[in-house]
Amino acid sequence: MASPSAAPTRFPWRDAVRVLALTFMCGLSLLPLVMAFFISFKTIPQFARVPFLPTLPLHWRNYLSAWEIVRLFLFNSVFTSGLTVIGVLALGSLAAYSFAVLRYPGREFFFYLVLALMMIPSTLTLIPSFVLVKDLSLLNTRWALILPWVASGQVFAIFILRTYLQGLPRELFDAARIDGASEWQGYYKIALPMSKSMLGVTAILNILGTWNNLIWPALTISRLERQTLTPGLWSYQAENFTRYGFLMAGLLIGAIPLVILFFFTSRWFVEGLTSGAIKV
Amino acid sequence: MAAETPALRLTTGARDSLLRQCWRGRMGYLMLVPTLVMLAVFMYYPAGLGLYRSLFDWAPGLDAEWVGLGNFVKLFTKDRVFQQSLGNMLQLSLWYVLSTVFVSLFVAILLHRMIHQRLKYLFRFLTILPVIIPGIVLLMLWKFIYDATVGPLNMGLIAVGLEGWTRAWLADPKTALYAVMLRNFPWMDGVAILILLAGLQVIPSEIIESARIDGATNWRILWAVEFPLITGQVKLLTVLTIMWGVQEFTAVFAMTQGGPINKTMVPGMWMFWNAFSINKMGYASAIGVVLFLLTFVLTLINMKYISTQEY
Repeated sequence: MASPSAAPTRFPWRDAVRVLALTFMCGLSLLPLVMAFFISFKTIPQFARVPFLPTLPLHWRNYLSAWEIVRLFLFNSVFTSGLTVIGVLALGSLAAYSFAVLRYPGREFFFYLVLALMMIPSTLTLIPSFVLVKDLSLLNTRWALILPWVASGQVFAIFILRTYLQGLPRELFDAARIDGASEWQGYYKIALPMSKSMLGVTAILNILGTWNNLIWPALTISRLERQTLTPGLWSYQAENFTRYGFLMAGLLIGAIPLVILFFFTSRWFVEGLTSGAIKV
Repeated sequence: MAAETPALRLTTGARDSLLRQCWRGRMGYLMLVPTLVMLAVFMYYPAGLGLYRSLFDWAPGLDAEWVGLGNFVKLFTKDRVFQQSLGNMLQLSLWYVLSTVFVSLFVAILLHRMIHQRLKYLFRFLTILPVIIPGIVLLMLWKFIYDATVGPLNMGLIAVGLEGWTRAWLADPKTALYAVMLRNFPWMDGVAILILLAGLQVIPSEIIESARIDGATNWRILWAVEFPLITGQVKLLTVLTIMWGVQEFTAVFAMTQGGPINKTMVPGMWMFWNAFSINKMGYASAIGVVLFLLTFVLTLINMKYISTQEY
């Protein structure tokens, strides 16, 4: 960090313009959310009278009735995104360790086999993947989401984790081998604990990706009780288009799990991203 | 490069036969098995099938009819909607690149220059905070903002006496594409900002110090020292954003479905519609292949011309 070690105790006035500009930018970014928050407490007549400013009394019922609908989507999303991220981290870290630390003929070839997939857009595989999932009779099951997501998610995970593991001092692994540790022990006793923060960043990026995926679940899951949050909220909006308070309450409830996740992990997510490990 | 320990041969030496090396490395292969199986089934097989099926006239349950490059010829000669969608995609991608790079650079520099460390942490947190808002929530909120009757945008225009400017932003063919494009104002992208900030922070402080000693102002340092040293990150963001822009159709799918009269149609959406609304799967696969080739060419350009700056 190129920062002066002694933090100034008084507000440095040279920062004033920066603070103003950043407040403006951050404020505008969050404004739609604030608006949604105000609207979410309104009845239909309240919204008709004063649409965008808070009105009393607060109408909590919106949240209760929205929860009844959204909670199912929430559970489905937590379940599928959760299983996906576990699969991605398990397979991805294992392969990344193999690529970064172990040595065997053909290693580069296999790595390029994985890397090449970064060039294959999801649009190319969308239709055939749908046909494949249909042929495997996985439509309307959670596996239709989890299996393809694990497969595609690990490509990026392997890429990031391999770069990170290669940056660790090799002596670490060599010394363990001299002491008689197996390759497997090198993986779960050294590589995994050492790359915790990178695993965290990979995990969050993966969760954000699957959580926000609209097209694939909308395509493969037609039964509403299996639907995930993003397509769920999309159909919810279409059905409750004019019940604004109810609609906004549902959208905000849908944001809660990521808020909780972020609350616990933001520190090392930010540290991991700003550590400079992610580059070309 | 790791120094080889001569006494204990930890790594396979050149003297061993290939078979022996393979046997020594068996754990390495074993650890790749789950990954490779998943990739083969859910990535390579669909990708191959997509390429192959683009040469057919094909609908599920029916016999596929070989048409060679017919689908591609039709796309580029007869399909007006597809051609329009390419133009829309180009405009959207250009905008995404410009807004991502410029807004993120601006915010990253503001953050980097902040003297007060506590405030810097606070704003860094506020910058990344919108990441946790599910994308669909933002899309739905913006759909609401653009709403013709109750949307805040029109309400605001009426409030300042510009009633003549109000319209159904997403349903008006004149404004729909721009409404989709300009959503999420002021276009802050937390992850992009942090990547750029990381680039600024790893510049060795000696370089900045010596520039300062030579009498360089903040602006001069920014222009002559910092910009050149973060071109790696800027290029990375540019390439990632273009590639994303080529394929992206979630926003269009959620907000307009390509309408009104295909004014917001993008290739991904057109592919989806062909495949799943009218069952022209072979034709839709051909669109997927065109998008793949576009991405492929972009990646090649990327690999040829882009390398990180070293210092």
